[in-house]
Amino acid sequence: MKTASRVVGTAALLDGFIAQDSPVYGAERRGAPMTAHTRIARETILERGVIANPDLVVVADDTLLDDPSVEPLTGTSSEGVLLLSSAHSPDELREHTGYQGVIEARDLLALALEHVGSAAGVSTALAAAACKLLGLSDGSTEEALKKELPQIGLDPQVVKASLRLAERARVGFEPIEISPPTRSGRPPRSTVVDVTYAPPEIGTPSVAAPANTPLRRTGNWRVFTPVIDLSKCTQCWICFVRCPDGAILLDSFENPHVDYGVCKGCLICVEECPTHAIAKVREVREWVEAGFDR
Amino acid sequence: MSEAATTMLTGNAAAAWGARLADVDYVPAFPITPQTEIIETLARWSAAGEMAGRFVSMDSEHSMLTAAGAAAATGARVFTATSSQGLLYGFELLYTVAGWRVPLVLVNVSRGLASPITLEPDHNDVLAARDCGFLQIHAETCQEVLDSVLMAYKIAEDPRVLLPVIVNLDGFSLSFTREPVTLPEPSSVSGYLGTYNPRHAFIRGKRPMAQGVSVLGGSVYSYFRYQMQLAAENAPKVHEEAAAEFERLFGRRYGLVDDYRLDDAELVLVMSNSFATKGRAAVNRWRARGLRVGLLRLRVLRPFPRDAIRLALAGRKAVAVIDQNLSVGFGGITVGEIAHALYDDPHRPPLLSYVGGLGGKEISEGEFEQILDDLQFAASTGVTPPPRLLYTEAEAGQMRTLLTIAGKEIDR
Repeated sequence: MKTASRVVGTAALLDGFIAQDSPVYGAERRGAPMTAHTRIARETILERGVIANPDLVVVADDTLLDDPSVEPLTGTSSEGVLLLSSAHSPDELREHTGYQGVIEARDLLALALEHVGSAAGVSTALAAAACKLLGLSDGSTEEALKKELPQIGLDPQVVKASLRLAERARVGFEPIEISPPTRSGRPPRSTVVDVTYAPPEIGTPSVAAPANTPLRRTGNWRVFTPVIDLSKCTQCWICFVRCPDGAILLDSFENPHVDYGVCKGCLICVEECPTHAIAKVREVREWVEAGFDR
Repeated sequence: MSEAATTMLTGNAAAAWGARLADVDYVPAFPITPQTEIIETLARWSAAGEMAGRFVSMDSEHSMLTAAGAAAATGARVFTATSSQGLLYGFELLYTVAGWRVPLVLVNVSRGLASPITLEPDHNDVLAARDCGFLQIHAETCQEVLDSVLMAYKIAEDPRVLLPVIVNLDGFSLSFTREPVTLPEPSSVSGYLGTYNPRHAFIRGKRPMAQGVSVLGGSVYSYFRYQMQLAAENAPKVHEEAAAEFERLFGRRYGLVDDYRLDDAELVLVMSNSFATKGRAAVNRWRARGLRVGLLRLRVLRPFPRDAIRLALAGRKAVAVIDQNLSVGFGGITVGEIAHALYDDPHRPPLLSYVGGLGGKEISEGEFEQILDDLQFAASTGVTPPPRLLYTEAEAGQMRTLLTIAGKEIDR
């Protein structure tokens, strides 16, 4: 999605706007939730960092809508637009989220898998759709993709396929007039409080609550899901040993089972299984399976 | 008040005695001139069973400070020591360990930083660490080295503070210099320090906890960084209490700053560390000539004792700060901080800036006379002369000779 934000930024620049794009992410590997921001303006952009009140929100994975560590709709208004890659319909998404603005949704992940064979391609598809919604020209979007995609190490064949993907992805989307709420007058003043000294058992950076790591569910990182066929399983336990996240557990019959609440979909188990008992399955997850079944 | 023997000790030996008397549990160590004698002494005592604490040689200052912080996070009382390049090699751990809020004591034996490489003292090494969250006490005498290590534990382990402390002494002019040092009775010291039993950093099977956690997000980060500032702001009061009890038990009194013949002084020298002794001598010479001059020695550098400095310097006719350090592109480091302390005072004096004593360079009587002339000029005209980098004509001549020997064609 960092690349998507850059494609939109570059396309805007090529169309004569001033742009600013920036990602925010932690130390986790690809697949973890992350955000990226693009600002587009006609004049110098006097802002930095996270966009508090986005006019267009692009969500690459609809399970993030329920992720309390992401909350992608924060700061949106009914004047805005929500673009999602989702197998759900806009109506289903509206019902699920209660979002009042325009909702545009297509299963762009499926399209990306079809064209470039990689989930990362959803970034290209969403960038193309976002550019279209924002009224940026198709020519600039294509130029922007040609500039940005080689920079993430894609070889010329994949770039070519990505351009075809972009063409297909923007079909059906039309520019939407987005009128950001005009703000005038003095913004409300924040109450600046005095931080006071806290005793060391409180005011030092330690965590006293035991074993809270299981609360960090990572099941929605997956694009493909490992599914074990126990009829082919020989109980060699290689999957159990090799799983980097300890997401494969053994039951009382010593059969392996995947904990889908934490399985990140790395598919190392699929690679390692000597009897090919683990299949790689593209799943469309139900909301409840988003991995936050606390 | 109970005292044991007075004996001739180097500054390094005094530092080692500080650790021994504080009954530290753990000493991770790595040698570097001019600090080595400290850890050699502790290693010998530890091996001979004269000191209960565990001594471990590490593979670098980076590992040493990691081990020190980690041990302190289990609730152990930890001592370690380094100098100069070693302090910089372990530098990232200074911030890390301070952020853990573990009250270890680190002795730094000041030595000028490369390049060119040298062994003798100035304070660029320790002042590089001034923003990291370690408190800093700078000692003038060998006795003060020992006493400051003890006070450092008393202050650092106080729940109102819980920040580590650097005790600084100058290489050579204190580290290898012997002078009379009175060793307090071990029983009195253990009464003074008590046992360190933290409520925030420990290892207990029944109460697992995560320490040194990472955060993402500026507001969480800011909260803990602000806590460090608030802890440091508590330190002057805790220092005052620690100093009062220390005086009651051992008869010596230490302030955040140390004033010398300041009462009626119109002109004031500001210095720190062992070269402040030379400043005292200059003050005595000038007093003998009937001049009203005094000296303010900076002792606690972090927290910066703004109020004490303002109290000592506001209303004087002129003040000269001799920085034994050089922030390249800025000048003396402490003069800027002192100016900050005085700025809001309507009676702020002209503040003269000198850089001297770099790499142990002598500050001669003649240079002090130049400073006196400048002070008198500033006092009578109200005009502050520009900063000076102290260097004498004789030193310049000697430098010309050396440059010639080095094959530099200086006359062309």
